[in-house]
Amino acid sequence: MPHIVLSHITKQFPGVKALDDVSMSIEQGEIHALCGENGAGKSTLMNILSGNLQPDNGGIFLDGTNLRFSNPQQAFAHNIAIVYQHLSLVDSLSVAENIFANQQPVNKWGIIQFDALNHQTSLLLKQLNIEEISPRTLVAELSPAQRQMVEIAKALSKQPSILILDEPTASFTDKETRTLFDILKTLKKGGASIIYISHRLEEIFVLADRISILKDGKHQGTFNASELKKDELITKMVGRELKALRAGSTRTTETLLVVKNISGSRFSNVSFSLHQGEIVGLAGLIGAGRSEIARAIFGIDKIRSGEILFHDKPFHADHPAAAIRERMAYVTEDRKNQGLFQEMTIEENIVAASLPFVMKSGFYDRSKARQISADSKNRFRMAASDLQQRVINLSGGNQQKVMLAKWLLTQPDVLIIDEPTHGIDIGAKYEIYEILKTLAAEGKAILMISSELPELLGLCDRIIVVKKGTVVGEVVPPDMTEEKVIRLAT
Amino acid sequence: MINKILQDRVYSLGLVLVTTALITSLVFPSTFPTFENFSQILLNLSIDTIVAVGMMLLLISGAFDLSVGSIVAFTGCFTAYLMHFFNIPVPLALAAGMLSALCIGLTNGYLIAYQNINPMIQTLAMMGIIRGCALLVSGAGIQNLPYWFNAIGQSKLLGIQMPIWYMLATVGIFTFLFNKTIFFRRYYYIGGNEKAADLSGIHVRKMKMFAFMISALLAGFAGILLSSRLGAALPTMGRGLELRVITAVILGGATLTGGYGKIPGALLGALFMGLIANIMVISRISGYWQEIILGLILIATLWLDKYLQRKYSAIS
Repeated sequence: MPHIVLSHITKQFPGVKALDDVSMSIEQGEIHALCGENGAGKSTLMNILSGNLQPDNGGIFLDGTNLRFSNPQQAFAHNIAIVYQHLSLVDSLSVAENIFANQQPVNKWGIIQFDALNHQTSLLLKQLNIEEISPRTLVAELSPAQRQMVEIAKALSKQPSILILDEPTASFTDKETRTLFDILKTLKKGGASIIYISHRLEEIFVLADRISILKDGKHQGTFNASELKKDELITKMVGRELKALRAGSTRTTETLLVVKNISGSRFSNVSFSLHQGEIVGLAGLIGAGRSEIARAIFGIDKIRSGEILFHDKPFHADHPAAAIRERMAYVTEDRKNQGLFQEMTIEENIVAASLPFVMKSGFYDRSKARQISADSKNRFRMAASDLQQRVINLSGGNQQKVMLAKWLLTQPDVLIIDEPTHGIDIGAKYEIYEILKTLAAEGKAILMISSELPELLGLCDRIIVVKKGTVVGEVVPPDMTEEKVIRLAT
Repeated sequence: MINKILQDRVYSLGLVLVTTALITSLVFPSTFPTFENFSQILLNLSIDTIVAVGMMLLLISGAFDLSVGSIVAFTGCFTAYLMHFFNIPVPLALAAGMLSALCIGLTNGYLIAYQNINPMIQTLAMMGIIRGCALLVSGAGIQNLPYWFNAIGQSKLLGIQMPIWYMLATVGIFTFLFNKTIFFRRYYYIGGNEKAADLSGIHVRKMKMFAFMISALLAGFAGILLSSRLGAALPTMGRGLELRVITAVILGGATLTGGYGKIPGALLGALFMGLIANIMVISRISGYWQEIILGLILIATLWLDKYLQRKYSAIS
């Protein structure tokens, strides 16, 4: 008998059927991958299984018993633990107190036993191979990858028999991913059922026993991982063949931006140049200083020394406003916290950075805002019912398109784009690639930061590699290969 | 249509106001729906509303100011002080009063925006400091103010008291500015996401400082208007005003987290509170009940709002 059976689950949100009669089963001791584009219903399904949401129809069967969770605590009582995509840690508390939140070891008077708490935590951290973190460290001091590890440790502290992971490796390097996989395989041997959601398809084939595919809230089938090919999986997720990227470089010899020996708080002596019509990759491990370099050029962080020439003139931005005026744009990697006005409408987001340009008089022109955002919506083929929709309700891919549209309205000559495909589905990824290619062909210079080497290799004219805050080399065709970049970066 | 009314507080509160007024007119046909009563309601809330417009601006940007009540008192007292003890001409005293309000706003704004002091702490401290300064300059209060000064708040135009005109003008001007100028629309972006606003090229710190300055200016204007209407400057003026105004603005659709709210909401929120107070006077309910009922209404409004949001908004 399967460990978990999800039977005919339907969930309706206003305006969208998030799940439509989804049935699937998960065996004891298997790693079950859940695939689908953003908005396919994966997170909704897992939120139902973990008690965060209640289905309109259908039921959950655990070892044959029909259960109904009206809150996460009830699911937790049945040993179901979920590792959230959006982190759920408290910055001001220690690692140990976060991991054992609300279940700290206490003595008979109800007083927390901190020695026991820290001891149990260090055992867990050891198991997770992150002994460099002390149980007493404040979560605020951790890197994003370390936080994610703490999040996983928190779920494991409950010794779950069912573990749900939603995009756990988004902030991980290869080393951390391997550690996680080892842990998951150990848990599996111990009889736990693991449901694994990821956009990184390579991981799924390495890890999963079976794969279930969701598309537009409907179950497309469950397959043995060994019998499914990657292309088949992609086709089933997106429902259409992906066309190859447009080939051919549009690079010219016209230099737009020259960066000479700039140093800042987390990088030093960085030099490179960008030409009109080219896409240049900025590769490196997480924390190598890629985003920091971009932020400093754009005037968010300070530059201590060095020189920048833009359009052959000295360029120094002390605030993003100055960089924007000189026709530079920076699309941040942190869509949620730094990129979007989540509670505001698509229209308001699209015009946010270009108001002084498109409405020169200083008066806000609503019909003009509507018209230019409608143009952008069509140009980027955003899937949204109307422009007055709030961006928080859009999928990751469409949110990324909104950010791109916002920045292109400032008519930049140089576009710096940071992790443009982070956490978005494959269909949208290719659309973003096409947009970037088109922009390069229009004569813009694009600096693209990405942790996904295949996309850098497929898209860029050359790749600059950063390590520990400094440029360690440049990889150019014909020998622009993954191995070469990795060798430089590590 | 129903959705629009439910989603926009300006419409839903407007509807509630009209309904309440209609029902009250039917219950008290002789005392409530009269010109005198209505102009009394409006006159009573005119000072609050002018301050509320500034508070709405701050709440849209994600901040608030507890010192506005003290600014009302200080500006009124300081202006009166200059006229009464130094015989400074009325226009000059008015300018000096407004300038003092601007300086208080500048201090608040600079420390909050550039030195990252928490707005609640900063304005709480300023609230005490400025109230103390008002006591220093006015003592027990200053009376016998110049005729031209008293005329500002005591005269009438078309049979309607001047403070009501000033209130309507303030609401009108700021509604226009928020709808039509890029400068003021920036506050929605700042309240929506401060970091994203900064990256979008908005000078967030500068704009935040300006917000406190504009709000203080409006409070200063309200202070001058109030002491002119009273014909005296009292250091106790505007006591508790800050919380009353925040209540009105929240009723009018603002949130403490920022990004929401419209200027007419400030007027409607104040109007609603004024209407409730008036109905209680007319129906001879003890004044003790007023604050209890207003508090209950505020909680009920916010609860209802959350409930409707859960029911109607899309979660994906």
